[in-house]
Amino acid sequence: MTYMAKALEYAFLYLIFPGFLFSSAMGLLIGWIDRKVTARIQWRVGPPWYQNFIDVLKLLLYKETLVPEGVSKTFFLGMPAVAMASATLVSTIILVINAIPQKGFIGDLIVLVYLLAMPSIALMLGAFASQNPLASLGASREMKLMLSYELPFILSLVVPIMKSGYSIRLGDILIKQANNGSLIGSPSGAISFFVMLLCIQAKLGFVPFDISEAETEIMAGAYIEYSGKALGIFKLAKAIMTFAVPIFLITLYFGGIKFSPVGFIKTILQFILILVLMIVIKNTNPRVRIDQALKFFWGPVALLAVLSVALAYLGY
Amino acid sequence: MIQSNPLLLMVGLPIVIGILCLPLSDRLKSVAKVLSFLVTLASLAGSIFIFIKRPMNWQCGVTTMFNADNLSSFIGLGISFFAFLITIYSFGFVEKSLGRYFGYILITLGVSLGVAFANDLIALIVFWGILAITLYLLVNMQATESSSRAAKKALIIIGSSDAIMIFGIALIWMITRTFSMDRVRLPLTDITSLAAYICIAVAAFAKAGAMPFHSWLPDVAQDGPTPVTAYLPASLDKLLGIYLLARASLNLFIMNSTSNMVLLVVGSVTIIFAVMMALVQHDFKRLLGYHAVSQVGYMVLGIGTGSPVGIAGGLFHMLNNAIYKSCLFLTGGAVEKRAGTTDLTKLGGLAKNMPITFISCLIASLAISGVPPFNGFVSKWMVYQGIIELGKTGARLWIVWLACAMFGSALTLASFLKLLHTTFLGQRSKDLIDIREAGFAFAFPMVTLAGICCIFGIFAFAIPLSIFIIPSIGQAISYLGVWVPTTATALLMISILSGLLIYPFYRPKMFRSVQTFVGGEDPESLQRVSGVEFYDTIKDMKGLKFIYEKEEAKSFDIYDQGKNIISFFTKILQHLHNGVLPTYIVWCLLGMIGMFFILFFR
Repeated sequence: MTYMAKALEYAFLYLIFPGFLFSSAMGLLIGWIDRKVTARIQWRVGPPWYQNFIDVLKLLLYKETLVPEGVSKTFFLGMPAVAMASATLVSTIILVINAIPQKGFIGDLIVLVYLLAMPSIALMLGAFASQNPLASLGASREMKLMLSYELPFILSLVVPIMKSGYSIRLGDILIKQANNGSLIGSPSGAISFFVMLLCIQAKLGFVPFDISEAETEIMAGAYIEYSGKALGIFKLAKAIMTFAVPIFLITLYFGGIKFSPVGFIKTILQFILILVLMIVIKNTNPRVRIDQALKFFWGPVALLAVLSVALAYLGY
Repeated sequence: MIQSNPLLLMVGLPIVIGILCLPLSDRLKSVAKVLSFLVTLASLAGSIFIFIKRPMNWQCGVTTMFNADNLSSFIGLGISFFAFLITIYSFGFVEKSLGRYFGYILITLGVSLGVAFANDLIALIVFWGILAITLYLLVNMQATESSSRAAKKALIIIGSSDAIMIFGIALIWMITRTFSMDRVRLPLTDITSLAAYICIAVAAFAKAGAMPFHSWLPDVAQDGPTPVTAYLPASLDKLLGIYLLARASLNLFIMNSTSNMVLLVVGSVTIIFAVMMALVQHDFKRLLGYHAVSQVGYMVLGIGTGSPVGIAGGLFHMLNNAIYKSCLFLTGGAVEKRAGTTDLTKLGGLAKNMPITFISCLIASLAISGVPPFNGFVSKWMVYQGIIELGKTGARLWIVWLACAMFGSALTLASFLKLLHTTFLGQRSKDLIDIREAGFAFAFPMVTLAGICCIFGIFAFAIPLSIFIIPSIGQAISYLGVWVPTTATALLMISILSGLLIYPFYRPKMFRSVQTFVGGEDPESLQRVSGVEFYDTIKDMKGLKFIYEKEEAKSFDIYDQGKNIISFFTKILQHLHNGVLPTYIVWCLLGMIGMFFILFFR
């Protein structure tokens, strides 16, 4: 009976709140904020708040799903499901740990880092399977992009680990910040946050790092052969990621989600701050080439991350 | 006085039967097959027996010759298991001179078990030395020009490391006056014992393929027969090399920060350097060869952290690596057998033709890249944790090790995605349309190994860690609040399945097969994207380009550099060989005078 209750609890956490249903709804709403702000920057009106919901529903329910000839169907159509499942898992783990810091386990930070890469891996494998040369190009760019941002990402992750007394438990990082103030307040934390912001810009595939999609150049690259339900599921996975990744940053640098009334408003403001920063970067920069992105992340950004680590060593 | 003993039988039987197999001609090849199947099966059963009955030993006179404790019985089990699978695989792969081939395989099995069980340092070095010779003979089976060159290189590098190991053993004897491994426990305080440790470690590095003694491995992987690569460099050599390193670091010597530092540096450099090389390879097996080098870095790094969780992670990684790496080599062999090449530029789109091979290769690739929930993730995670424990103790450089290990993992993933694309996914080149799936002898070992990758990943703590790894290091590791992959995997599996069910749930006729879309062009008319050049962007980066060029010019190859040094000296000595008899006589006289003086004035 207890097993049953446990299974039900997990199913609820994973599927409804704060997992799949809640995260994807939030993600789609964030997508609307993104579109609205972008539209205002470009002097347009922008879509209504429910636009993203009907877009995804249309893909999921009504649109035909095309599969390229001579392709392993299960594999090709399975990859969106893998992407969505892991994005949901990331979101669930982050939110549950935010609510109950004791729920985490040793090394959950590393598990999260790996799970955060899973949607990209699924996308790449799906694109490779589609046998489309443009998809192959797009996916190879995605991989190179991942390589480029992963180095500064890991380096700046070291700062929260060090500041929390060498713990790779998200819960410990939260508790430490609750006692000693948010990480963003210290110089090393601020620099590390800035590096992280650039990295997640690339992780989420936002302009100027939308190199793997590059609509005007390789026609959505990795996504080119995906349509209908498969595309819809990929879109949902991406929506969940746009929700979960900023929360991940809030957890690491702003002391997590606060559940008091004032704190909650603060959290929402922090979230919007991160989001607006990302949107502004997105709307003021043209797309870079992949070799430029590599140089950018392995050069100045990695150095900045090293600087933040050095500052953390010195105790700043 | 020799009594029969299970350990002696385990070591002796394969060697004796192996020698008997050697003269069998190809007319009697079924005899060789049956014999080797039975012997490997018996040896698998025997090592399970020993694993359960451990500890065990065999006394030869007063010395304890063989000793099966937790660590060595676990290694022995691994050795027999891989020998069994490779034997089955070889039934499908090897066609010529089977008697000789299976003979060598069986001798290798017996000798490897000898290394694992040896308690006497002399016995250890004897078995260890024979292994280098069987590797040479097995790689050189086809006796083509390239394979004999690779075999020679392997023999020279491993053989010279064996000589260094003999020197190390001599140093140990000098200090302790014993050859019994269970009686040696040296602190690394003075320079002699440190030198002894380094000598033993060099032999372990050369066997396992860590930098800078790695350069034989990619060559053997590319030019040797694939089952041999999967058998020796990919699994047995890893097990034995890391076994020796662990034995030296845990039992023979008491580690201190200097020796740990050596391991950490070797480990990190190996990880990054080898994987960067793997990124730009364009041969299936050579790419895997570089990964066989790179993964050793994690094991060395894990042992180098010196914390229980790190050491356990290193040993677990050794086991995991043997599993997925031989699986990868076996899939490579299946592709080679069916498509006739391992050149990545010629392959592509085989997923539809060879689904079983593809799925095995996919699972093993994800496992080696450390993607959860497969086994590689758990062991890498333990190594990372070991590194962070190291940071807690105040070591400054832990960030470097952590960054190397984690970033190396991303690079591994990148090169395996390239491998999957160029071989199994992507567009199919025209001459590969009629390829069939490999037969049962191929599929059975591949699927077994891929299955173990999943099981060891999902039930990491219940099965491999608590049965094999934790008893081996003899220290307790707290289990509190660790990552339990079972729940997460169940959630992932259920949601992926339900995601898949969404598709047919709504009007299945909504699925239509169409030609790929490339902006209205005919896809056939466009050039095929093979994927071999995916990472040329990285190769062309300013600083890296220099290093890549140096590596291709073999500047980091200890074998070629050694060859250069030796030929430099022989060039000088050549001048003395001018063929004029009186000169030679003068040299002889000078030598005699010199010897006379030494003997006279002593």
